[in-house]
Amino acid sequence: MGLKSLEQIRKAVKDRPAEIVKARKNGAKVVGWINYNIPEEIIHALGLIPVRLGTGGDERLVELGSRYISTKNCVFVREIVGLFAEKKDPYIQNSDLVAIDATCLQVYRVAELIKYYFKVETTILPVPRNFDKLEGREYFRREVEAFTKKLEDFSGKKLDQKKLDDSIRIFNETRKAIKTLYKYQSAANAPVTWRETFEVVHAGYYLDRAEYLSLLNTLLKELKDGKGKSAGIKPDGEARVLLSGSIIPPGDTKLIDIIERSGGRIVGDDLWSGLTPSLDITVRDASIKGLADAYLRRVPHAALPYLDLASDRRLKNLKKQVKAHKAQGVIYHTLRYCDAFTFKANETKNILQKAGIPFLEIHTEYAGSDVEPIRTRAEAFIEMIKSNNELEALS
Amino acid sequence: MQRNIPKTHIDSHMTKLPNKKLAYAGVDVGSLTAKSVIIVDGKIAGFGLIPSGIKSEESGQNALHKALKSAGLKREDLIYVVATGYGRISAPYANKTVTEITCHAKGAHFLHPETRTIIDMGGQDCKAIRLDADGNVKDFAMNDKCAAGTGRFLEVIANVFKVSLEELGPLSLTAKEVVPMSSTCTVFAESETISLVARGEKPENILKGIHNAISNRVVGMLSRIGVEDDVYFSGGVAKNVGMKTALEDVLKSKIYVETKFDPQLTGALGAAVLARSFSSKAIVDPVTVRAKPAKV
Repeated sequence: MGLKSLEQIRKAVKDRPAEIVKARKNGAKVVGWINYNIPEEIIHALGLIPVRLGTGGDERLVELGSRYISTKNCVFVREIVGLFAEKKDPYIQNSDLVAIDATCLQVYRVAELIKYYFKVETTILPVPRNFDKLEGREYFRREVEAFTKKLEDFSGKKLDQKKLDDSIRIFNETRKAIKTLYKYQSAANAPVTWRETFEVVHAGYYLDRAEYLSLLNTLLKELKDGKGKSAGIKPDGEARVLLSGSIIPPGDTKLIDIIERSGGRIVGDDLWSGLTPSLDITVRDASIKGLADAYLRRVPHAALPYLDLASDRRLKNLKKQVKAHKAQGVIYHTLRYCDAFTFKANETKNILQKAGIPFLEIHTEYAGSDVEPIRTRAEAFIEMIKSNNELEALS
Repeated sequence: MQRNIPKTHIDSHMTKLPNKKLAYAGVDVGSLTAKSVIIVDGKIAGFGLIPSGIKSEESGQNALHKALKSAGLKREDLIYVVATGYGRISAPYANKTVTEITCHAKGAHFLHPETRTIIDMGGQDCKAIRLDADGNVKDFAMNDKCAAGTGRFLEVIANVFKVSLEELGPLSLTAKEVVPMSSTCTVFAESETISLVARGEKPENILKGIHNAISNRVVGMLSRIGVEDDVYFSGGVAKNVGMKTALEDVLKSKIYVETKFDPQLTGALGAAVLARSFSSKAIVDPVTVRAKPAKV
């Protein structure tokens, strides 16, 4: 028997564009956002509808975007520009305002481009590079305050403390539920796959946040009761792989398909389109300042410079996820021109290998021309893990 | 990839063989050539090497036939066949497919057990592989979307000078000077070479520059996995003495090139070595390994 609540989530995602159109007709406004550090709680508390924008894996949209943005930008950014150029994606169509934070500067550039070429109303949230310093934190507090003011003007409402409390609670519980879901997917005899978990995370980009939380809790209850089981479960004994590196947005299944078809079982990730945004956010006080601090304190994005490798929380988290999900190797996905993750590939490899964790970097784009060479690398890596497993079993 | 076989088949096959020799084959279908090696009683008994055709399945079959012929064996004498190389995805004649990375490691370990690092330069790609004392892969890197450091690149360059591929290496060793080559991109290197020839530079000096440029690039890839002696050079390009010398210059280390066995066959040999070990597992536990009678 399949998972009933997963089907419910899929149906809700299917119905969501029509729901949003209806809500807008009744006066609601949608804030589409892109990047990593937009405090969604504030958008939500102001009665605006937050939607996380961006898809991947479509070479046609990349080509379209390349007419407006340099081809030396990563394909994810080019595809986003393509989405705005084409204006067929329902969430792009229905975004009244687009908010972009300055974590990854390539994504940040999109704000300028879509305003210039497509007259999209945009707002930006600057993010400090010295995010671990007091000066950085103070700067970000002021910027989040200014961002809130802009959203207040846009919505015509003042931020209400009670509503903010409520939004913070919903987002905290959602993050907690996603963390629990990740525990289920990597267990032995898991009732749900990583791929489905990833799909559920992406559903959260679009759905009404309170409804999404309730669906997540239903899913967790179904998993806890042990009545439903996903149809896509692989037998134990597959090579357990953790995915890391550049963003893998909804629609980009190239590497995931190759790994799974090569006999690998993905058991976790530290992607900013996956688990990572749900980690380590503790809102110590329910205020703009409290939210600003909480966002800066979480696992940093690779685009933010971190020179002290020994204390780098991104690397620490990666090692922690490998251990928590009993991964036997890390496949580190880098998109061409995604400098943030590509430049950090070597240090990440060295640090993981010192901890005895095999590492494979896959450098790619959305075009299909490199599928076979990637398959060879992924298969060889999985053969290596399986041979390690056999050696371990013998010793 | 594994295919089904009824347990009874292996049993009957084995019982038919008490007085027969134990023969295994590896087939490596690359972009430019298809190779096959036969192992009998743990020793290399025959091989075949042919240019790859349009159909990789046919190329693999033909290489296998050639190898069987040179070993004086028939198809039904083979207990197990492993296919590798980029053509492994269409190899119905094989019981199992394995990547060329694992196969090169097994092949190099079989011929030269001291091997800890492999540089493999084939027709369309270039790999660096680290292995342990038992021939298990520990790490590897491959060139990305680029023909630099491959047989195809050298073919293009040989064409500019109107010499055969075999002449390139020895010619580069006669250089008195080195003309630096700034590009390792096949297309740019070709046009840069044409310009240098037009300028009146000597072919051998240009070739030395080309070999150096490629070596630097390959050593850059090697640095991603680390180098440990012995370094074993495999693939078709390993037969190019100019490339071996240029790599040794950059690495400042000796490189081992097999002289008694064609280094281009290393992957196919590794596949045959693996065929033997898979087959012994299949006999112990036919359910988990599941081989099938290979069709020819």
